Amino acid sequence: MPSMPVGLSRDLPPKRVMRASVGGQDIVVWRASNGDIAAWDNRCPHRGMALSHGFVRGNALACLYHGWHYEQSGRCSYIPAHPDLDPPATIHTTRFGVTERDGVIWVDTTDTAKPGMLTEPLDPLRSLIAEVSEAAVEAACHSTPFEGEMPQPSGSGLYALGTIRLALLTNPLGPNRTQVTVLTSPGLSLQTRLALSRWCETLRRNAEATGTGGA
Amino acid sequence: MSLHYASNDWYPVADAACLARGPRKTRLLGTDLEVLGPFDHPVVTDMGGRCFPVQVRYNHLWTTIGDDPRPLFDIPEADEPGRRHVPCGVVRVKCSPLRAVENFLDIAHFPFVHTGILGAEPHTEVAAYKAEIREDVDEVWATNISFYQPQAAKSAAGGITTRYEYRVPAPTAAVLYKTCPPRPEAMDVIAIFVQPRSETDCDVWPWMALYDDTTNFADLAQFQQEIFLQDRSILENQRPVKLPLDPKLEIPTRADMTSIAYRRWLKRRGAYYGALTDQT
Ligand code: FES
Ligand SMILES: [Fe+2]
Repeated sequence: MPSMPVGLSRDLPPKRVMRASVGGQDIVVWRASNGDIAAWDNRCPHRGMALSHGFVRGNALACLYHGWHYEQSGRCSYIPAHPDLDPPATIHTTRFGVTERDGVIWVDTTDTAKPGMLTEPLDPLRSLIAEVSEAAVEAACHSTPFEGEMPQPSGSGLYALGTIRLALLTNPLGPNRTQVTVLTSPGLSLQTRLALSRWCETLRRNAEATGTGGA
Repeated sequence: MSLHYASNDWYPVADAACLARGPRKTRLLGTDLEVLGPFDHPVVTDMGGRCFPVQVRYNHLWTTIGDDPRPLFDIPEADEPGRRHVPCGVVRVKCSPLRAVENFLDIAHFPFVHTGILGAEPHTEVAAYKAEIREDVDEVWATNISFYQPQAAKSAAGGITTRYEYRVPAPTAAVLYKTCPPRPEAMDVIAIFVQPRSETDCDVWPWMALYDDTTNFADLAQFQQEIFLQDRSILENQRPVKLPLDPKLEIPTRADMTSIAYRRWLKRRGAYYGALTDQT
């Protein structure tokens, strides 16, 4: 499984926890108060609770069920039922590779995360989920006009929308479910970014209407 | 095989309030059933019209689909004078029936899941207690438990250190004895009776026998329902869905001695319905 884009850095500020999925693996991604990020199997080793329901305390993620703390390294650092106990090093979460680049969070379940290289600098626009296949999202991108013009593919997964450059990063969540992370040329006006965000909605609707989804 | 063992226990399938609203279509161990009132003369059948035995105990209607059922467990406190019996309705939970029982036996989650009611930080420590399989009765017991609680019961005026005892008389039932705020010398009885619809979903019927003559019935039932709804948000988010009996799959600590005893007891009696085992 290669590294996959699972969301935008700005949607995960310090002390926030989110749920992600790569190749069918349920994942928790969270950011400590100090800004460090971690991605783990979304399962507490104690009694199997989904860690994505947990909360950040300082630089640890606390499980919602019994409040066990896990440090960024995945090691259990505190068990509230036994406040004086130093938890054995054998108690730890299952860690995955995670890295950030161009405002996008990349996760790799088998190796160190290697972000997809963009051939030019782009800014993150938004992340969305479409209930269709990856192929249907790409097909819809070719046929959803932006301000009257069809996007033109320009290599390396990039599209030209008039003078604007746009990248669609896809993470297949299932045969008919795709996470799409959208990046655009840097320095666009707020108005243009809002228009592009609406275009993303139209793209999603077109993909879902014509794609293989819902079959 | 696990189904065969489970089919010879008795399970709750209705209470008086739900039967008063009409027949109840339900499911037990994967078998679709229909329960017809009145509550004192009920009939339980499957979709093919086969009738199953029924009995009314602890304000619930119980049935079994096995050929050779074990007797329904006894709760002697049910017959003590002065206790109010409170059936608390039903909560549907998408989890293993065994995970629902295990959660009921757990106190370490109180400060995090029932915050401000059954527990509160920084009072998170679980002091050593005793958990055992009592060979004479073949039941799991946990005794000598105490825990600080901000609002231990509807009748509690403020925070108290509550004493607890647990008893597991059947794989899908658990009885809790806890300090009764208005009568410190007595113990309230709170039980859950779990109806396994399948290995991965269940209906939970909480029931209480209390010394509380002042709080009205609906408030008592609602207090318990609210607590169980908080538990549901946990139970539907545990993985694997079935309860692992292999001790290597989940990591317990001293606070989990009851859970360890419960899992061991299930394993040795072959009560595998809802469990993750080498065989499944
Ligand atoms: S399941 Fe996470 S702390 Fe118990
Ligand atoms: Fe609970």
